[in-house]
Amino acid sequence: MSNFLSTIGIKNIHISARQIIILNVFVITSCICFLIASVTGSINVSIGNLIRGDISELTKIVLIEIRLPRVILAALVGASLGISGAALQGLFRNPLADPGLIGVSAGAALGATLVIVLGSSISGGLFLGSFLLPLGAISGAMLVIMMLYLLTKGFGYQGVTYMLLVGIAVNAIAGVGIGILTFISTDSELRGLTFWTMGSFGGVTWPLLIPAIVIIIISISSMMTVSRNLDLIQLGEPEAYRLGVDVKKLKYKIIISCAAAVGASVSLSGMIGFVGLVVPHLVRLFGGVNHNYLLPGSAFVGAALMITADMLSRTIIQPAELPVGLITSAIGSPFFLWLIFRIKRS
Amino acid sequence: MSVRCESIDINLNKREILKNISIEVKENEILSIIGPNGAGKSTLLKSLAGDINPTNGNIFYDGININQIDIQERAFTRSVMSQLQPIAFDFSVKEIVEMGWIDRGESKYADQFDDAVQEVILKCGVKDLIDRNFNTLSGGEQRRIHFARTLLQLWRPSNSSDPKYLFLDEPTANLDLTYEIKLLNIVKDVAQEGAGVILVLHDLNLAAKFSDKVAILKGGLLIDIGLPKDILKSTLLSDVYEIKVEVKNNPLLITYY
Repeated sequence: MSNFLSTIGIKNIHISARQIIILNVFVITSCICFLIASVTGSINVSIGNLIRGDISELTKIVLIEIRLPRVILAALVGASLGISGAALQGLFRNPLADPGLIGVSAGAALGATLVIVLGSSISGGLFLGSFLLPLGAISGAMLVIMMLYLLTKGFGYQGVTYMLLVGIAVNAIAGVGIGILTFISTDSELRGLTFWTMGSFGGVTWPLLIPAIVIIIISISSMMTVSRNLDLIQLGEPEAYRLGVDVKKLKYKIIISCAAAVGASVSLSGMIGFVGLVVPHLVRLFGGVNHNYLLPGSAFVGAALMITADMLSRTIIQPAELPVGLITSAIGSPFFLWLIFRIKRS
Repeated sequence: MSVRCESIDINLNKREILKNISIEVKENEILSIIGPNGAGKSTLLKSLAGDINPTNGNIFYDGININQIDIQERAFTRSVMSQLQPIAFDFSVKEIVEMGWIDRGESKYADQFDDAVQEVILKCGVKDLIDRNFNTLSGGEQRRIHFARTLLQLWRPSNSSDPKYLFLDEPTANLDLTYEIKLLNIVKDVAQEGAGVILVLHDLNLAAKFSDKVAILKGGLLIDIGLPKDILKSTLLSDVYEIKVEVKNNPLLITYY
């Protein structure tokens, strides 16, 4: 396989033929999920009619203005959380690192809440426009990841307990912060806040979505460039350094990219748990642990999972809607318990 | 062509670990560093590898100060095997070995990746382990795999004259007698192929058998350096290790009491 890849100009990418096939399956699956989710909902459209363009003006508006941004957002958030989970687990060399579990999403949520409640009074609602909410969330996420890194530094793989304890503390602190901000918010801010904390992809519009698309695509691309270095850091920081990895640069790149991806996601969809934990482990079970495969795999499986969870959330009890976080947690929490038993056994 | 340190001092946490050390290892040469626990052997190896900056003094690779060589170029020039950390995820043995391959984009060796991996696997005798999960191997087997990875990092085509240096910190730890000797024979071959090798060893007989030069360290000081037969003497070793050591010549055999 390497010989074949070399002939087409791709050299030593450290990915097997089997993994390439699995990645293709992930891509096709997420495309199918995207297509099905785009035509399923309170207004159903047949795929045949869609392709022929045989749809009413109203359906067209629903699809383009409501359904499409929602499905794209679900895909982006799933991809962000999946790839960030994989990258953080790799960086911390810790299978339990999940943006939700270790408090990164909570930090992002606190940052976003600060913007919702205090942002309008500080900026007059004009400054940076729709970028302000993602920026607040990204700053919160980045602060938490830096704190985690400082507190688990030197503990390496043994830092599991510390990381989870910090996660518990950060989640609690964020809860208090969000509670206080909710208490002091005005009626209109409270409405925005309540809508946002429910964790949903509903209500997203193109002007809100476009900054998130830009931020998330840049972050995911940035993470993809360091996949080989994430493999090498599994040998330990000194070994990675001896193999030519600029460890400091790698850490900053992962921290900033994850904070941006998770922050942008949380700012638009609220906190959605367990995706960052479950998806990388699922992807590893299918095809292996090397990051050239794991990072893109986690992005596509994360997207497929989130699109499906969102589709279920808006169709199960139609016309009402279940919070999407409920569905991901229902899948994720038993998986988390299974993972802990598995780690304990090994 | 050599790796050389000149009058290096290393202070860590306000403690003097190494004092005024100067040593050199040339191509085709094996230098063993011996000494009791806490002598500073591993610290010296780490500083030569570029992990720790000396407080005073300089380290040179082929006459160039190590601080002027970027870490990617260093990785291509020298490889290091030291104390190992557990690996959190289930990498295959082959993946761990392949981690030794230094990607240099369109480098002249890039096309020979598969050949290099196969050559190293055969040389180290780890073919039967290659498809296994690394975390299921015994401590000794894991060490052999890391050794293979370290060799892959230094792999060159046979006609290459690029300098290469191999630094091994207690490479025989956890290995049985057979693999201990096999590994050191491979190290000897690598030196004959042009590498400069620095070994940290505890077994004085192995140091005597496989080294061209031996450096004795104690309390951060270089006690002596020279040919094994010249410096592995009963009096000196008894002083350094503070136990009774007897040395017989032809062949060199060291016995401790």
